[in-house]
Amino acid sequence: MREDVLYYIPLGGTAALAAATALIASIGFLRTRNFRFDSLARAATETLLAFLAAGIVSGCFVIHSASGRWWTWDARLTAALVCWLLFATCLMLRQAVEEPSRRAAFAAVWTVFACLDVPLVVATAAWWKPGKALPIEWTWGRFGLLAAIAVVGGLFTVVRARQEEARRELDSRRRKAFES
Amino acid sequence: MRFLRQAGVIAAKDLRAELRTKEAINSSLAFALVILLMFSFAFDPLADTTREISGGLLWIVFAFAGTLVLNRSFARELPNDCLDGLIAAPVSRAALFLGKACASFLLVLGVQLVSLPVFGVFYNVPWTRQFPELLLVLVLGTWGLTVVGTISSALTVNIRLRELMLPMLTYPILFPALLGAMQLTAGLVAGNPIGPDEYGWLKMMVGFDVIYTAVSLALVETILVG
Repeated sequence: MREDVLYYIPLGGTAALAAATALIASIGFLRTRNFRFDSLARAATETLLAFLAAGIVSGCFVIHSASGRWWTWDARLTAALVCWLLFATCLMLRQAVEEPSRRAAFAAVWTVFACLDVPLVVATAAWWKPGKALPIEWTWGRFGLLAAIAVVGGLFTVVRARQEEARRELDSRRRKAFES
Repeated sequence: MRFLRQAGVIAAKDLRAELRTKEAINSSLAFALVILLMFSFAFDPLADTTREISGGLLWIVFAFAGTLVLNRSFARELPNDCLDGLIAAPVSRAALFLGKACASFLLVLGVQLVSLPVFGVFYNVPWTRQFPELLLVLVLGTWGLTVVGTISSALTVNIRLRELMLPMLTYPILFPALLGAMQLTAGLVAGNPIGPDEYGWLKMMVGFDVIYTAVSLALVETILVG
């Protein structure tokens, strides 16, 4: 197996962990209406998009070094691209809604919808293009790389969630000052 | 039973309003016919290769034309604050959603059933040979499109760029259902019945419809009320 896959797989794995975090945070928000969960969901979605985009680009390099083309409708790449679009719409929805509590609720609902779609997308992409994906051989080195990239993703998520919390706090104080 | 009656009342109200104004169904039908015509400019309509991709073409037409109907589903209630009245009415929001989804489903299915013969004539495709199975795929695919589209319509009804946001939200989610529908429709319009290899696609479409109907019914309260 090509060594380039070393980057392709852990980046996708980290994106999958970020998707799980976004799903848990969204369900947490829908249950508690605590905006900390919303900040975490937004940060996890951004992490997912960044790492999945890096994974797709890395996958394109794998394809290019193997066949000379930059893209092929391989099951894994197709599924990754559709998942990227799915979660990109969550961020677009956030930008389109102005009122903070509605924005958080709508984004949480849509994140749940997107996460439910991920297994279906992966399964249908595999049926559509069977046998085209490169096999994955898990070794300790690759687990180590996955862990290292996942830690970077986790740190990125925490930093972005804190920034989001700070921005929300600032907005709330500004509104209160304006009202008084 | 009461829930289904409430959903039926909402569906009947939506169908009545649409059949009186015909604002969504006329534009959707015209749009479907224009796209079918434009595809025949892009590809040789009578070539074998075009027939092989006809399932895909047909579902692209249905998805685009369906969005026009779905865009109106909740937007129809904006004038005179009718949406606030509906939300305040003693009807569960799940029944409201189900009624609107059923009305949109019938309208989109109507557009499809008018577009199919036109497609058959323009592309010389024997689409009637496996009609019962084709109808099953149409019903499953359209219900998936309608459920996701109606919940997107509820989400986008009060936001900026509503007309743009609805297709942007809907199409990526619909990837599994549309892919299944395209795969099955391509074989059926060519006259081939659904084989054992294709049952997986059919089951996936049923699963998609069940999952998204259940989740939409559970979460529509959050979307409409907050």
